[in-house]
Amino acid sequence: MTSLVPPTKTKRLFNYIIMNMVKVGIPRALSYYRYFPFWKVLLEGLGADVVVSRHTGKRLLEDGVRHCVDDICVPVKLFYGHVLDLADSVDHLFISRLVSVEKGENDTYTCPKLIGLPDMIKSSLSGLPPIIDFVVDVQNTSLKSSAKKLAGSFGVTGAGARRALDAALDMERRYQAELLRGTTPEDAIKAVLSNGGGNGSGSRPDPGSTRGADLNIALVGHEYLIFDPFISHNIPRKLARLGANASYITQVPAAVIDRELERYPGISWTYEKELLGAASHFLSRDDIDGVLLVVGFACGPDSIIGEIITREVRTEKSPPLMTLVLDEHTGEAGVATRVEAFVDLIRRSRTRIPAPGPEPE
Amino acid sequence: MMKVSFPHMGNAYIALSALLSNLGAEVVIPSRPTRKTIDIGALHAPEFVCLPFKVNLGDNLRALQMGADTLAMVSGTWACRFGYYGRVQHQILRDAGFDFDSILLGRDGIGDVYNKFRQTVDGNLALGWFRAFRHFKRKAEAVDKLEIESRWIRPLEGKHGSASFALTEGLSLIHEARSLGQIDRALSEALSLLGGVELDKDREEPLRIAVLGEIYAVLEPALNFDIERRLGEMGVMSYPVMSVYKWLFRPLKTDPRITLGEHRARRVARPYVAYVLGGEEHQTIAGTIGAARAGYDGVLHLYPFTCMPENICRTILPRIESEFDIPVLNLCLDEHASPIGVATRLEAFVDLLRQRRRRRAPQGQPLTRD
Repeated sequence: MTSLVPPTKTKRLFNYIIMNMVKVGIPRALSYYRYFPFWKVLLEGLGADVVVSRHTGKRLLEDGVRHCVDDICVPVKLFYGHVLDLADSVDHLFISRLVSVEKGENDTYTCPKLIGLPDMIKSSLSGLPPIIDFVVDVQNTSLKSSAKKLAGSFGVTGAGARRALDAALDMERRYQAELLRGTTPEDAIKAVLSNGGGNGSGSRPDPGSTRGADLNIALVGHEYLIFDPFISHNIPRKLARLGANASYITQVPAAVIDRELERYPGISWTYEKELLGAASHFLSRDDIDGVLLVVGFACGPDSIIGEIITREVRTEKSPPLMTLVLDEHTGEAGVATRVEAFVDLIRRSRTRIPAPGPEPE
Repeated sequence: MMKVSFPHMGNAYIALSALLSNLGAEVVIPSRPTRKTIDIGALHAPEFVCLPFKVNLGDNLRALQMGADTLAMVSGTWACRFGYYGRVQHQILRDAGFDFDSILLGRDGIGDVYNKFRQTVDGNLALGWFRAFRHFKRKAEAVDKLEIESRWIRPLEGKHGSASFALTEGLSLIHEARSLGQIDRALSEALSLLGGVELDKDREEPLRIAVLGEIYAVLEPALNFDIERRLGEMGVMSYPVMSVYKWLFRPLKTDPRITLGEHRARRVARPYVAYVLGGEEHQTIAGTIGAARAGYDGVLHLYPFTCMPENICRTILPRIESEFDIPVLNLCLDEHASPIGVATRLEAFVDLLRQRRRRRAPQGQPLTRD
C-alpha cells in the first residue's frame, strides 16, 4: 500500500465504524493517472473513504489477463487486474466512463474502450461490489450535473455537492500545474495530496537523479502506459540511468497542443490529439534529441495516430523517432536493449555530424 | 477521363460502380480480394491496425496498378478507426510513390465531392447525380433481393454449389445492366435462375444461424472465408444481421425501415452498452438478443483482430449467451487465420447445434421467411 491513500489502518477502521463512511475503490489504471486527485477530493467531499488498488505487479497483471478477453489492449487487462485487486476490500467500485472530455465545435470522443469500460466490467466479472458509473460526457451533459448525480447517490445535495466539486476542480488544476512542471503523475499526486504523508514505494519512476545528463529525450504516449513502472519497465528511470533527461507528454501545455493541431485537423479522439500535438511539438524543438513513442499493442487509436505521426508529422529535419510497442509479454531486457540502442545511436550521430572534412575511413 | 476506384466490400461494387459510371467516370474495379491482397496490404499497413484496413489498402494498391488515378473512400470522425482509413491509406500509398487524386467523402465536404464530377458528367451535373443515384439505389436493391433469395435456397440445394453458381451468374447480369429497365429485367432473370435451382425436398429442416459482428468481417467473403456460402453448403441457413444495402443507405437516411431498425437496435442494446461506441455494437448485441427471441439455433460473431467496438461486445456476449440461452461462436479474424482452422470450428459448432436441437424435442414450428 502506498502513502497516498491510507492514512493508517486504525484511522480507516475508525472511519468505517464510527463515521460510517463508505469505502470507495479506485483502480490504479487508465484514467487514474489523469483524474485521480479530482476524484479523490470529490468523493471525500461527498463523505466517502477512497481506497486505491496496489501498484501493478505480476500477480495483479496475471489476474487481469485471465479474466479479460484475449485480444484487447494491455491497459484494459491491467484495469481488470486492479479491479479484482479491490473487489474484496471495498463497498463500491468507482469506474469512470469517459465519453467526451473536451467541448469543441466538432464531436470528440475518447477510445471506445474507455466509453464502454463499465459495461465490460459489469458484464464479464461477477461478485463485484456495486459499481459507481461516473459519466463524463461534457459534449452533452456538464460535469456539474454528472457530479450532482454522483452526490445524489451519496445523499449529498445542494451546497455540499457544489463545495465538493469546486474543491475537486481546484485540486485538478493544481495537479495539472504540477504535471506541467515535469513531475511524474505518482509524485504529482503525492505532492498535491500531501496530507497523506508517509514514505513512497520504491518502484516508481524517478528521473530526478540524472548524472550529467547530456541528452533530452521526449516520451510520448498514454500516461497509463509510460507511468506504470511495471508495464513500461520504468522507461523514465532507464533513460535517466543512460544520462538522458526525459521530457513527458504531460509537460506540454494545452495551448501548445492546440496550436500544433491546427496543422493536423480532423482527429476526434481527445487523448490521441494530445499525443499528436505533443509529438509534433517535440519533433519541431531544437533542444530535443530524440522522441520515444510508447504505444500499447492492439491499441486501436494508437495504430492510426502512430502512422500519422511517422508519415505526416516527422520530417527529414526532425530528431529521431522510435516507436516502442509494449504488451504483457514484453521483457525487461527487450525494452532496455532498444532504449539503450536508441540513446547510443543519438550520441553517435551527434559526435559524427560536426566532424569536418572527409571521413577518416 | 477520371479513373476512379474504391475498396471492395462484399457486393457493394455493383451499386458503387453504377453510381460512378453514371457520373461519367471510368470505374476501375480491382479483382476480388484474396489472401495475396491481404498479405500485400499487411506489408504496408501499421502492424496492429484492424484487418479491414489491410484489405482495403491491398485493394487500393491493386487498383493503382490497374491504372486508377483517383481513389474514393468514406471518411469521418467517429470513435471507431474506420473514419481515418482513407487519410492514412492514401498517405501510405503516396509515400510508396503512387500519384493519385483522393475523394474522401465526409472529409472533403459534400460540395467538393459534388463538383468533382463537373468535368466528367455528360450534361447537367444535378441531373447526372440524380440519374446516378437512381441507378445506384436500384442496383443496390436488386443485389440485396438476390442475396436474400440465395440465402433461402442454398441450404436446400440438391446439387452442391448450384445455388452459388446461379447467384454469381445473377449478380453479373445485374452488374452488366446499363439502364433502369435493364436492371429490372436482369433482376427477374437472375431470380428465375435462382428459382431454377433444384431443391432437395427430403432434407431435414436446416439450422438457422445469425451472422453478426463487425460489418466488414460479416460482409466481405475474402475476410471471412466466404462464411455464408460455407454455412449454406453445410445445410445451414445463415442470416447476416447487416447487409451491404443497409450499410450503403443507413447514412443517407432515405429508407425509414433502416432508420427504425437502428433505433430499435440501440434501444434493445442500451442495458448492455449504454453509449455509442462508433461501430456496429448495437447491431451485435440487439442481433444476438433478437436471434434468441426469434428461435435461431445459434449466433456466429465475427470480428477482426483488435477491433475496438467488437472487442467490447465480445466481453458482453457471454452474459447475453447465458441470459437468453443462445449459443454464440466468436471468431476473431486476422491475416494469419487459416481456412482450415475456421472450417474446423464451424463444423464443431454446427455439430453441437444439431445435437442441441435434437435434444430439445420437436419444435414443430414451421420455418417462416423473414
